[in-house]
Amino acid sequence: MIRRHHFHRPNRGLQVYAVFFMALLYAPIMFIPLFSFSDGLYIRFPIEGWTLRWYDELLQRTAVLRALENSVRVAGSVAVVSTVLGVFAAKALVRYRVPGKGPILGFILLPLVVPPIIFGVALLLMVSWLQIPLSLYTIAAGHIIICLPFAIATLLPRFEGYDAAMEEAAADLGENGWWVFWRVTVPIILPGIVASLLLTFTVSFDEFVMAFFLGGTDLTLPLYVWGQLRIPRAFPVVLALGTLILLFSFVLVFLGLKIGRRGAIKLVDRD
Amino acid sequence: MRMAVTTPNETALAAGRGQSAPRWLLARHEGLRGLILLAPALVILGITVIVPFAMMGAMSFWTQVGFDYADDWSLRNYIEIASEPIYSTLLLRSLGMAMAATLLTVVLVYPMAYFLAFHVHRNKLLWLIIITLPFWTSYLLRVFAWRVVLGFEGVINTGLMEIGLIAEPLKFLLYSRTAVVITLAHAWAAFALLPIYVSLEKIDRSVLEASADLGEGPVMRFFRVILPLSMPGVIAGTFLMFIPTVGDYVTAALVGGPDARMIGNLIQLQFGTINNWPMGAALAITMILAITVVGLMFLGLMLALKRWAR
Amino acid sequence: MDAIKQLAARKRHALNRRAFVRSLMAVGLVPVMSSALPGKARASTRHATVFTWGGFDVPELYQDYVDAHGELPDFAIFGAPEDGLTRLRSGFVTDLIHPCMGDIPRWRQTGLFQPIDTSRLSNWPDVIPGLWEEPHNLEDADGGVWLVPFDWGQTSITYRTDLYDLEGEESWDILWDERYAGRIGMLATGDDVWWCAAIKAGVPFEEIHTDEAFEAISAVLREQRPLVRTYTDDTSSLNQALASGELVAAMTWNSSAVELTFEEVPVRFAQPKEGALTWVCGFMMHRDAPAPDRAYDVLNALISVSAGEFLMGDYGYGHVNIRAFDAFDDETLEALTLSRNPSDILDAGHRSIPQPPEWSARMNTTWERIMAGF
Repeated sequence: MIRRHHFHRPNRGLQVYAVFFMALLYAPIMFIPLFSFSDGLYIRFPIEGWTLRWYDELLQRTAVLRALENSVRVAGSVAVVSTVLGVFAAKALVRYRVPGKGPILGFILLPLVVPPIIFGVALLLMVSWLQIPLSLYTIAAGHIIICLPFAIATLLPRFEGYDAAMEEAAADLGENGWWVFWRVTVPIILPGIVASLLLTFTVSFDEFVMAFFLGGTDLTLPLYVWGQLRIPRAFPVVLALGTLILLFSFVLVFLGLKIGRRGAIKLVDRD
Repeated sequence: MRMAVTTPNETALAAGRGQSAPRWLLARHEGLRGLILLAPALVILGITVIVPFAMMGAMSFWTQVGFDYADDWSLRNYIEIASEPIYSTLLLRSLGMAMAATLLTVVLVYPMAYFLAFHVHRNKLLWLIIITLPFWTSYLLRVFAWRVVLGFEGVINTGLMEIGLIAEPLKFLLYSRTAVVITLAHAWAAFALLPIYVSLEKIDRSVLEASADLGEGPVMRFFRVILPLSMPGVIAGTFLMFIPTVGDYVTAALVGGPDARMIGNLIQLQFGTINNWPMGAALAITMILAITVVGLMFLGLMLALKRWAR
Repeated sequence: MDAIKQLAARKRHALNRRAFVRSLMAVGLVPVMSSALPGKARASTRHATVFTWGGFDVPELYQDYVDAHGELPDFAIFGAPEDGLTRLRSGFVTDLIHPCMGDIPRWRQTGLFQPIDTSRLSNWPDVIPGLWEEPHNLEDADGGVWLVPFDWGQTSITYRTDLYDLEGEESWDILWDERYAGRIGMLATGDDVWWCAAIKAGVPFEEIHTDEAFEAISAVLREQRPLVRTYTDDTSSLNQALASGELVAAMTWNSSAVELTFEEVPVRFAQPKEGALTWVCGFMMHRDAPAPDRAYDVLNALISVSAGEFLMGDYGYGHVNIRAFDAFDDETLEALTLSRNPSDILDAGHRSIPQPPEWSARMNTTWERIMAGF
């Protein structure tokens, strides 16, 4: 392209807006770390003193760590299950002439547009009618429903984006279906799988409403936080916890980004 | 969507290996193969969506008696919802607040998505991640963070008093509908941004150049080309945010005051303190219907706009 | 409330001593530990599960249990006991749950509870008899009790002595004071609010089930609504708002006033001339308690002297163990609005009377409507 249109030129106004937008997005969240170091029990300005004691108290609370463990377990299994199901479903929707494709897709994406409270309530009714005890499993089941649409929505474009001829070529070479799937399909859609795992993990990890209705005595982290928010003495500890989660996800994301970039290069090389 | 290519090789292969009848059938009828691949997802969703919803529908016609239910199949709950003003008021208020929050978010997010799509050329992924990162922290803590900002001794009030703009803290900031709308807008920003960004990113740059070559100014071009082409993303973002926020109750419980109670709060209470599950089920069903109606009206409006624009 | 301040000073000193050493490590350690966690095996024996308000899940209340079993029991947290009951009825099973005395007859109707054999509690002889010897606590309990009492106190008003200009005696009128419209906070729990409003409306508790009572109580609550800044059942919000001066007065339990005083916020826990709402709460055991033996250990820890000292000294709630009071002098107890002889406090106020589920449903529905403005 020789001519440069003005929509390629930097737009000062938009740049300023972008900075403003990011500030708006981040400013409130930054108060979580700020007040986690504040000496007072109550959030108020000016901050009178600084302390690390909330972090110390956090460390002594085995309940937090257990809630964290529960959340990681639930989110981890939800991410794996919904991504695996999502891979199959997305492949089926893209590769095969499935009857009723439109309605099926609509049905799968339906949970995206139903308020979580409705799902929580409806599932609670079913679970209590079947006399299934509430536990981390019921939470996970609930989360799979809301995560499956995310997984499929993330994976569909991946399947649409590559040439089926690759699979056919492999099949022509006499390889069976599973081999083709593992050695040809999976590597190609790998970025989609990673994205889906990350997204579904995040959604499940932070989901509160369904967990509230479907949870048993084992608490996930959001349920634990909800309980602690009500206790003045515990609140700064929750802020400390929030800070650590924030820090941890930043580290995780940037690590993931680095690895992802290397991975992407590898994939390109293979292509 | 790309349609599957028929693969004669596979069929030949299957036949050539002399496979048993079911396998041959599978190879032959790709629709069947597709359905089998879809089956796990569909079965799980079927059990966890259709059955509970059917039960909820059924229960909404029951009546709570003391600690028990009477399955008397009456319309009592619905009649109560229709006749008592509290239900319609809270429902309409929830729809209104969700609409306000969604509108605010879409308006704030669109320029950012536009900036990302057209003015960021390197590290787009990094930008996207930085935008979504705040949403990795606990939703409850994000809502709570707004209390710090909007509170009586919060950032805004302290700041404004410091520079002498106000003498007394502004009270409408916290424990109000304003607080709920602001908090919701912030909490759902990424959900609205991503679809809009994707639709802007998809716009073929040559269309823009063609428009420029035809002598259209940037403003005209935005309204005649970019905005209409990005509408699918705007609509998707609107739905993705509007629908869940109608049923939100956590935000209203934490930063809303007495006048910001939403239908979600009422539903949650039926399954908690008030302990009237049939009524809760009826309210949930009513809410879904209301959302569907509003959603269809919105789609209709968009279609009408599209036709009118032509 | 100087006595309370002294109490606070003593505690802070102790806290600082142990606090700093591990503090720096904490910042780095938690993420590391949490990443290693999923592989860690959980203890094989099942702990008892306690279903209670947030704030009662702290180690100090379960010292004997921790000493015996190495870890805290498991917890589930509710916003209000009625929420908890609804969850139990939907199939959620915990060993113990934390309602109040007046709930016993109604809760028993669900058939979800078993009587508690007090002979299995070694601390039981120290429990003040006046707190549990009530007919509906003993009825059909096979010589035991349905509810082991644990905490008692008042639902009253915490107000800012520097911001609220008290005219005359302390009274429930504080929460209906139009001079402070928009600066009044209220609990959202009907079980507290409804009875307090009955006191304000002058409705005798014996008549609280009548239609006239419903109307009179609804009327005072509707009258109050325009003055109310927030209805909430998390004390954290109320305390925060009282500390910042956003609220000048709020309906609270004992702990809010005590905790705010610890933080040097000038507040008083009012003793309204009409009388406060007083209550005794405790623990009931689930019929299908999965870990009954450990549940007894939990109960025994809760009614121990060490739990009592913490409950009274840190939260300002009354405890049931008579020997726990020895740690406090009369002046401190008075400042905490507690007494060695609980009936002095409990009988000076009003105690709620058990009501049937239908009443409870009607009350909660009406209350929800009033809060929403109808």
